[in-house]
Amino acid sequence: MKKIISLLLCLCLCLGLAACGGRADPGDAKKLTIWHDKEDAVVAALSDYLSEAVPDLEIVFEKKTSLTDSLKLVGNDPTAAPDLFIFAHDKIGVFAEMGILTPITELVEEGRLEDYLPMTLEAAAYKGEVYQLPLYFETLLFMYNRRYMQDDEVPATTGELLQYATDNTGRGRYGFVEQHSTAYYSAAWIHGFGGSIIDQDGVPFPDPQAVKDALAYHLKFVALMPGETEYSTVNTLFLEGKADATIGGPWLVPSARDAGIDLGIAPMPTVDETGKALAPYSGVQGIHVLKFAAENKKEAVQELLDALTAPSVGIDLALASGCAPANALCYDDPRVANDELVQAMRGTAEIAVPMPNIPEMDVMWTVVGNLLTDVNLSGKDVESSFSSAMDKAEELIEAMG
Amino acid sequence: MKKRRNKDTAVSYLWSAPSLLLIALMVVFPILYTGYVSLTNMNVYHWFDFTIVGIDNYIRALFVFDSGFLSALLATLLWTVINMALQLVIAFVLASLLNNQKLRLRKLYKTLLMFPWAMPGYVSILLWKTGMFNTQFGLFNQWMEKAGLAAARWLSNNVSAFLCCTLVNLWLALPFMIMIMDGAMQSIDKSYYESALLDGANWTERTRYITIPAIRPIIAPAVIITIFTTFKQFDVVYLLTQQAGAKTGSGFHTILTYAYENAFVTNNYGYSSAISIIIFILLIVFSARYQLREEGDE
Repeated sequence: MKKIISLLLCLCLCLGLAACGGRADPGDAKKLTIWHDKEDAVVAALSDYLSEAVPDLEIVFEKKTSLTDSLKLVGNDPTAAPDLFIFAHDKIGVFAEMGILTPITELVEEGRLEDYLPMTLEAAAYKGEVYQLPLYFETLLFMYNRRYMQDDEVPATTGELLQYATDNTGRGRYGFVEQHSTAYYSAAWIHGFGGSIIDQDGVPFPDPQAVKDALAYHLKFVALMPGETEYSTVNTLFLEGKADATIGGPWLVPSARDAGIDLGIAPMPTVDETGKALAPYSGVQGIHVLKFAAENKKEAVQELLDALTAPSVGIDLALASGCAPANALCYDDPRVANDELVQAMRGTAEIAVPMPNIPEMDVMWTVVGNLLTDVNLSGKDVESSFSSAMDKAEELIEAMG
Repeated sequence: MKKRRNKDTAVSYLWSAPSLLLIALMVVFPILYTGYVSLTNMNVYHWFDFTIVGIDNYIRALFVFDSGFLSALLATLLWTVINMALQLVIAFVLASLLNNQKLRLRKLYKTLLMFPWAMPGYVSILLWKTGMFNTQFGLFNQWMEKAGLAAARWLSNNVSAFLCCTLVNLWLALPFMIMIMDGAMQSIDKSYYESALLDGANWTERTRYITIPAIRPIIAPAVIITIFTTFKQFDVVYLLTQQAGAKTGSGFHTILTYAYENAFVTNNYGYSSAISIIIFILLIVFSARYQLREEGDE
C-alpha cells in the first residue's frame, strides 16, 4: 500500500513538473491570444465589440498581473507568449529593444491612424516607428469636492492654489493633497516649469535649473500636505472629505462618486512664474503585436487591428468605463461629448506629456522618487539632492548597457 | 550482502529522485543560472542574443559596493544582530511561560501566537504600514492624539524606521522561534527539573544549567535559518519604507534593498546577477563562519 501511495505521489510530482512547461502549440491562424492587465469593464467592452466586428476570429483575453515580467521571460517563445498584448505605452522602448515587437505601421492600412490624437501617436512611437495601436489614454486631472471648494474658488494659477491651501489647511483638514513625492505626480510640476525628467535621447534632466526651480517651489505645497505620499492615504483623505482638492487619475472618479462626493473637474492650474500649466504625464493604453504573430498570423492580426481602428470601439470603451478614446472621431459622438470626465481628459491631452517610452525611463522612476523623498520628506537641500540624483541617473543609465 | 546493500542504496536514491530533482530545479538551477547570466551581457539591448563577457560585470559590480553599500552592509549586520537577540530573548520568555504547567488556556495562547505566521507576509507588512504607522489614520497616532501629543511620522527617519521595521519583523518571525523553543522545551526530561528542585536550584539556575543547554542543539538550525532570513530581509524594509511611490523619507537600507535600487532597476540582468552572486558569497561566508563556530562549540 505504501509503495502504491509513493508511486502515486511520484506521478503527481512528475505531472506537476510537466505542467510547468508552456503551451505546446502556438495555435491556429485564426486564434489570437491577447494578454492584458485591464479592469473587467474594459475587456468586456472590447470582447463584445470584437465578437461582432471580427466573428471569424477567435480572440482569447488572458489577464496577467505581472504582464511585463512575463513578457520579458517568454516574449520570444511562441509556445508561451501571447500574440498581442494591451498595455501602457511606456514599456515600448524596452520591448522594442528586446526585439519582440513589430511596428504596427506594417499591419495597419495607411491613413487609418490619421484621425488619432497626435499625443497618442507620439506616445506610441519609438525611434521613428509606431509600435502600438492606441486605444485610450489616461492623464491626471485637477479634482475638487464642491461641498468645500465652490466652482468660483477653483484656482486658475498655482499661486491661487497655494493661497487656497494655506487658508483651508489645519485641524485635520487639507485644502489640497496630492502624491507629492511620487515621480509620476511631480512630473506635472517639473513640466510646468519647462523642465523634464528625461529627453528622447536618454539625457536625464535636460534642463536642470527648471527641475530645481520646480522642486523648490513645490516645497511650499508639500509643507501643507501630509507626510505620507502614497496612493491610499492621499485618496482616502479626498474620498473621506478631509481634503478639498486633489490631483488624481480617472481611476479615482468611480470611488469619488460612490463616496457621494459632488465632484468637480477643472483644468490644471498655471504656474505664475512661467505661464505654463501643470502638464501631467499621459499614459496611452493600446495593443502591441509580437513578432511571431506578425509573421505567422499576419492576416488575422491585420483584421483585428483594422477592426480596432474603427471609432465605435473607442466610443464603447468611453461609455463602458469612462476611458478617453485615442481616436479623435469618437468625440463626435454626443454621448462621449457630454461626458465631463472624458472631455476633461481630452482637454488635458492638449498639454499632457506622454510618459517617456525609452528604456532609460525605467531607472528614472527610482532616481526621481529618491530625489523627491530627499527634498520633500528628509528635508535635504535642493541643490545637493539634485546633484546626487543627476550623478545617480547617469550611473544607472550607464549600467543599463 | 554487499550487492544487497548497493541495491538498497540505489532504491533509496530512486525513491528520493523526484524530490532531489525538484530541489535541483528550484534551488540549485537558479543559482547556477544566475552564475551563468552574471558572465553574460544580458540586458535590454541584448535580451535574447546575449554573449559571454567574462568577469566584466563583476568588475562593474565593485562600483556598486561604494560607501552606500558599506553603510547598508553595516546596517544589515546591526539589523541581524538586534533582531536575532530580541527574537531569542522574547521567544524564550514566551515559550517558558507557555510551558508553565499552571498556565490555563495554553493551547489558545499558542494558537494566537502562531497567528502572524498564518498571514501572508505582504499583507501583514502593509497592514502595519497603513493600520499602525500611518500618520493620518494609524493606530499609533490615534493613541498619540488621545494622549494629547503631536502626530509622529514613524517611518520618516532612519532610527525610527529601523525600530518600526524591527517591530514588524519580530511580529512576523516570532511564531517560528516560539514554536521551535516550545517544542524543544517540551522535549526536556522533567526528571532533571525535579532533581534540581530537590537540590534547591532556583529558576535562574534551572534555566542556566538545564533549559538552555538542553534546547541549544535543537534550536541551532532554527537560529541559522532565521539569521539567513533576517540578513537577506527585503520585504519588511522595502514595503514599509522604500516602496516605489510610497517612500517615507527613511534612508535605512539592507544590502538587498540597496542592491535593488542600485542595480536591479537597470534591467541589466548580467550586472544584477553579478551583484546577486557577490551577496550570495557574502552570505555563504557568513553562514560558514557561524557553522564553524557552532561545531567548535560542540
